Amino acid sequence: MVMGMERGARVGTMGLTLVAAILGIVFLGWNFPSGYESGRWQIAGLAFDGLTAFFLFLLFLGQGMASLYGMSYMKEYEGKKSLVSFSLAWLGFLGSMMGVLIVDQGFYFLFLWELMSLFSFFLVIFEHEEAPNRTAAFIYFVMTHVGTVFLTAAVLYLYSKTGSFAYTDWATYAPGLSQGERSFLFVFFLIGFGTKAGLVPFHIWLPYAHPVAPSPVSALMSGVMVKVSLYMIMRLVWLTLNPVEIWWGVVLLALGVLSAFVGILYASIEQDVKRLLAYSTVENIGILVTALGTAMIAQTLGYSEIVVLALAAFFWHGLHHLLFKSTLFMAAGNIIQATHTRRLDQLGGLLKKMPRTGFWALGGAIGLSALPPLGGFWGEWLLFHSLWKTSVQAGEGMLKLVLPLIIATIAFVSALALATMVKWFAGAFLGQARSPQAEASQELAWPQTTAMGIALCLSVLPVLWPQGLLAIFNAPMGVFNLPVLATTNSVALPIFTNLYQLITPYGLLILLFTGILFLLSRAKQRRTSGTWNCGTPLTSRMQYTSLGMTMPLRIVFKRILAFHPKIDREYGGNRYILRSLQYHSRIREMAEDVIYRPTMKLVLWCADRIRILQTGSIHIYLAYTLVTLVIVLIWTM
Amino acid sequence: MSMVWQLDWKIIVFSCFHLLLFLLAAPLLQGWIKKVKAFWQMRRGPSLLQPYRDLRKYMDKEEVISEHASWILLITPSIVLGSTLLSSLVIPGPWGGAPIQGMGSLFWLVASFGLARFFLALAGLDAGGTFGGMGSSREVFVAALVEPAFILSLVVLALMTETTSLTVMIAELQGMSIFETPRILALLALVLIAIAEMGRIPVDNPDTHLELTMIHEGMLLDYSGRSLAFLHWAEQLKQLLLLQLIALLIMPVNMNLLYTQGGGIQFGVLVTQSILQIGLVALLGAFFATIESAHVKVRLFRIPNFLAVGLAAAILALLTLWITKGGI
Repeated sequence: MVMGMERGARVGTMGLTLVAAILGIVFLGWNFPSGYESGRWQIAGLAFDGLTAFFLFLLFLGQGMASLYGMSYMKEYEGKKSLVSFSLAWLGFLGSMMGVLIVDQGFYFLFLWELMSLFSFFLVIFEHEEAPNRTAAFIYFVMTHVGTVFLTAAVLYLYSKTGSFAYTDWATYAPGLSQGERSFLFVFFLIGFGTKAGLVPFHIWLPYAHPVAPSPVSALMSGVMVKVSLYMIMRLVWLTLNPVEIWWGVVLLALGVLSAFVGILYASIEQDVKRLLAYSTVENIGILVTALGTAMIAQTLGYSEIVVLALAAFFWHGLHHLLFKSTLFMAAGNIIQATHTRRLDQLGGLLKKMPRTGFWALGGAIGLSALPPLGGFWGEWLLFHSLWKTSVQAGEGMLKLVLPLIIATIAFVSALALATMVKWFAGAFLGQARSPQAEASQELAWPQTTAMGIALCLSVLPVLWPQGLLAIFNAPMGVFNLPVLATTNSVALPIFTNLYQLITPYGLLILLFTGILFLLSRAKQRRTSGTWNCGTPLTSRMQYTSLGMTMPLRIVFKRILAFHPKIDREYGGNRYILRSLQYHSRIREMAEDVIYRPTMKLVLWCADRIRILQTGSIHIYLAYTLVTLVIVLIWTM
Repeated sequence: MSMVWQLDWKIIVFSCFHLLLFLLAAPLLQGWIKKVKAFWQMRRGPSLLQPYRDLRKYMDKEEVISEHASWILLITPSIVLGSTLLSSLVIPGPWGGAPIQGMGSLFWLVASFGLARFFLALAGLDAGGTFGGMGSSREVFVAALVEPAFILSLVVLALMTETTSLTVMIAELQGMSIFETPRILALLALVLIAIAEMGRIPVDNPDTHLELTMIHEGMLLDYSGRSLAFLHWAEQLKQLLLLQLIALLIMPVNMNLLYTQGGGIQFGVLVTQSILQIGLVALLGAFFATIESAHVKVRLFRIPNFLAVGLAAAILALLTLWITKGGI
């Protein structure tokens, strides 16, 4: 009876959200503006603009894939956990995300934003039996509320100035605010949304919270939720706090590059299947914010072509990150269900046991390492071009110097992403199994691999037909009053023609070349034998571990990573006979050490001082009331 | 979709010719470099054609596949050679033109190398041996340090010429002095990076299979027969592409001289320029062989210092460009 209900809750909820996602995409497609309609949309009585529509599209995509996946994935919990409560939180989470996208006024926004945080918190703490999960959820809870404090303050400030909660009223009033006020609001919004997006240095919760949630939730949080906060930055900063200051763009650019760098550096040395992906989310959010910052700088300088280019990079990368990151989180979920471990150094050889998961995961890994022919690279291509063009056009000043350096940094980030993804994929799927669980693993039910396949196939579409995807970008671009993008039959900016001439040929030519060469590579004779190992038998412990794989990076960046390995040796008799050797190493998050622990200490110290006020004596409390009353009276006089 | 497909048979024939030329010339360059190295070692050395013979030998050999490996090991040689061939589509030939010369072909080049590297690194880890993993780990590490300098030095040249198309960039450099500081520094950076990308001393030693030193060879250790031939060929091709790129950036081909008033091709000029170009590539090959003979392979953790010089040169190139052209 209970089992039946659980099953019903699982299949019903996931089915519901899956159908809702499909219907949502169909609705958006049905109502897609045929031309340039200043970005307003009317769907089923709801009015919203193209920016909302684009992010709704992302939400529905992520929701659809995660629901299909979750339908099978959550089966594991049946009989062990309450799936009804999970279902409620799932529905609430999806609903509140959609709400945040749709609302157009501050009060409901705050309410729904808080709901989104709470429901995702419930989902993160779903497996609360393990202490680390509770810690992770707590860190998430605290961080997201610190962010919300800043948002609430900013929203209430705008309300007190305008007497209205509507975004449009704020936008009309904003030019009347002083530059200082707008800048303050920008900083508050940046902290608030940056926390949710996982921008360095507000990112510390993300590597804790994303991995411990069930995998469909991780996919949604990494793929969609962080982008909802980028949507809000565009909505409440760019479209509301006009005119935009140039230094806001510079701040976004700097934080974006910092996030990309820090995120990928920590990802490259991570050994947990899901934590690595979470850090990679920090990296990709960094790249997205870099694109956003570039667009903002170009906007203030009046280079509308570059704004289009940078925003195209932003939307392109946003969509592709969603697809690839969902695929990889789903792959991680499959790995966890098949082997019951999240540690890369216990996995290995899964490609033979889970061929379908492995195949799609390979695609996701190529995509996230920003390699062609998949779209991950072309987003970066657009970003490189927008940075480069801004540098060419900017007549003078530091920008001209800094932007090419940012290109170099992003190139470094993508090379590290390659190292990270090689490590992730090879650690889990290649070589020999490093543990009995990995040896015994099996492929999972079809929805769990089909959902991945759908994500990957969707990411192939823009390679075959880039114009189609760029035509979709016209919807959000329209909101920014920019020149219309190239659609299927017209090209507005010459650079996009160049892009079209590269994307599809690259995809087709690599297929052609590889195909021909593969046919030619069939040798006359082929023999199967063991891997050559200097004549000794090969064991699974002889492989490079995921720790060893990126050890050079650890050593070179040890200052940043605070990496100090400790080696304990035990000798028998003299120092030529080594009895045992123990190696301890730990990586500490610099942001935690430099910012959060001191802050926490300060808060605790202050709390300790303030406690003197709280003596427990009712007389003193009455005296406090009296003093307060007198002060207030004097104040009001 | 129609405008993407403005292909006609001329472009296809030209592309095939371009690819074949690079593919066939690559082993010759390898033979030449070996010859020069032999000269410095006071040996006669193998014939210039030895790399061709080696490739033919590998092509006919039986192939041994590891039982621990997956299909990644099988497809990697094709993908590596395929993507290296793809990257050759954007490098102009000795006559100054490439089949793909639109904006952004610079990033196409870097990304194609990246794709080859990704699969090669995976293949190194696929068979589950120690040496392959060692090679992969070092390869991605070195690549991470090379990439920013590689892109930055090309971007500096792109900023000078205001284009990201390699072909147009080279045509534009034609009009500029070779002694412009940013250009020299960017070239210096490219030369240093090319050493790492080609897997040559002091970064990697192509001639040894000693596990302490090998990077690229480590990943190829489980390959034999035709697959090994493909991978060697890809490496030789990459070497040729890098030298050709550097040669063109040093001494760009003047495409304007190639055409007569009527639009026909002046074959005399074409031949002269091509010979000059090929001579420069041979000179560069000799130069790298000389470096290789005069230097020792450095320890893995000294490589960052070496590559930092490359990055510093690229940053200085940017800085000098900014000071001389950008205006403060």
